[in-house]
Amino acid sequence: MKRNNLIPMVVLGLVVQLLYACAGTTSIARVHPEPVQGLVDCAQCHTDRWANLNHRAPDFLAKHGVWGGTRAACASCHQESFCADCHAHKDDLKPSDKYKDAPERALPHRGDYLNQHKIDGRIDPASCLKCHGRQNNEGCKRCHR
Amino acid sequence: MKSHDSWSPPPAGFPTLFRLVGGVTAACALLVAAPALAETTLVSATSTTLFRIGHGDFQDSKNIDTAYEYLRLSVSRSFKDGDSLSLLAGGWLRGDLADKSANDRFTDADLQYGYLSYQRGRNNQVLNAGRQLVTEGVATERMDGLYLRSDLPAGFGAALFLGSPVVTEPNFKADNLVFGGRFTHTQANYYTLGVSALKSYQDSTRYREEEGIDLWLHPVRGVDVTGRSSYNSITEGWMEHSYRASYTPLTQLRLFANLDSINYRDYFFRVTTSALSFTNRLIDPNEKMLALGGGASFAPTDSLTVSADYRHYDYDIAGAADYYGGKLGFANPKYLSCGVAVHRMDGAADRLRYLEYRAYAAKSIGKADLALDLIDVRYDSTLATNQVKDAFTASAAVTYRWSDQLSFGGDLDYSHNPDFDNEVRGLLKLSYAFEAKRAAEGGAK
Repeated sequence: MKRNNLIPMVVLGLVVQLLYACAGTTSIARVHPEPVQGLVDCAQCHTDRWANLNHRAPDFLAKHGVWGGTRAACASCHQESFCADCHAHKDDLKPSDKYKDAPERALPHRGDYLNQHKIDGRIDPASCLKCHGRQNNEGCKRCHR
Repeated sequence: MKSHDSWSPPPAGFPTLFRLVGGVTAACALLVAAPALAETTLVSATSTTLFRIGHGDFQDSKNIDTAYEYLRLSVSRSFKDGDSLSLLAGGWLRGDLADKSANDRFTDADLQYGYLSYQRGRNNQVLNAGRQLVTEGVATERMDGLYLRSDLPAGFGAALFLGSPVVTEPNFKADNLVFGGRFTHTQANYYTLGVSALKSYQDSTRYREEEGIDLWLHPVRGVDVTGRSSYNSITEGWMEHSYRASYTPLTQLRLFANLDSINYRDYFFRVTTSALSFTNRLIDPNEKMLALGGGASFAPTDSLTVSADYRHYDYDIAGAADYYGGKLGFANPKYLSCGVAVHRMDGAADRLRYLEYRAYAAKSIGKADLALDLIDVRYDSTLATNQVKDAFTASAAVTYRWSDQLSFGGDLDYSHNPDFDNEVRGLLKLSYAFEAKRAAEGGAK
């Protein structure tokens, strides 16, 4: 590696360290200080931006993708496995099949999804692509060869 | 010692492997051998064993007797300065005891995630190494690689990632290198704005190049707007605009609206399954979809919610459709959760005219949890549904919580639908959770 390549890297490293030292924010709590249960409405305690995270709201599922950009906030209550239940690399079982004991959860593909997927795939195929476009799609090959 | 000028790189392929193995080994060593620095160590593991019995969805799957084992592991060490080091891993194994249940294989397995995470107590700084899900603006990627994020001064924040995409490739080859990042500015009381980019290669060929903006606005109490727009630099077109707004004028009342615009040519540009590719004409590259919707929900008590929603789908090529309905839900996690919902799909195509009903209930009685779920879809026309008028599914589940660690139960599922006259399936479930906490002084808590 040439010395003139090394200098910018060292400078970049120092700048990053300087920026880090100057930021001075406190990290989001890794564990939510109060235990919560079920579908929570964060506004019951929060008055700040987290008050918007009403898990019972009809549009919560649609919005959670953008809130997911602040993963640390989700991780205060949810473990990584919670995300992987739906956002799987590959999985034979539908999330709703794994959790039939939790019908109140907004899990995708409840009921007879073999027939319904033809309808959903027609009305909004973009909603399929987010999870099945490039992963968790080995099962598609049985019919879509 | 060689000078920097005379330094030459090791053989190709060596540095990456060496750094990866070295990094993981160093992190593992730090995780295991840092008791002097650690304040607490928390180890938790979850095992869920499932046994599925019944008939499969396809003609080549006659009798399904399949065992699954889902394992999740978390080892986390917290340090006195607020930092923590964690090892997180999760995956599953499958074994078929009768016919093949999926993907033409009797056995299968997958590592869903497995990474080391170092989190600082300040600046939300995170360094992850391993298989992980990255969600940063245009990127919602599962990859084997490195992820770094940190708050910066004046409300700015930055995230960078680099790795190999973890994808499945039933029909088409995917990319093998992905990298990108997101730069944000946050004013905690008002907004978070982000710009992000992602680039990937299949060997030396440009595979994906996406840029986007995302926002989370909450300028006044009760108003909340989220959204993102994504641009495809290879096809040179906007892939998606997706925005949602909600307004809560009263604690009990919530109004919401949404807008989604998809350009199929740009959005479905890179997929690995023919089900979503342009090759088999299921997806028309010239199609554009605009979906507009909204609704309201009213919660007269903490537990009860009534909601109504409407969504209009408009296409350049296919006919339009409307989806609307309502839901009544009751949720008290200690006693009972239940709800009923009715929705109507009104579209130009036969397949898009139906009524959808759902009723569910989940109740705890002592150490037992009971759940019932009924779903029925009644089609106006049977032309597209094998002359079958409706698709009905009923499922009942029972779980017994033996202790905080151990629970077991099962569910039974009955379906009558356009693909099966009668289908009955069962699933047995055994869950075991283990957790141990050790403080710095060495005593288990």
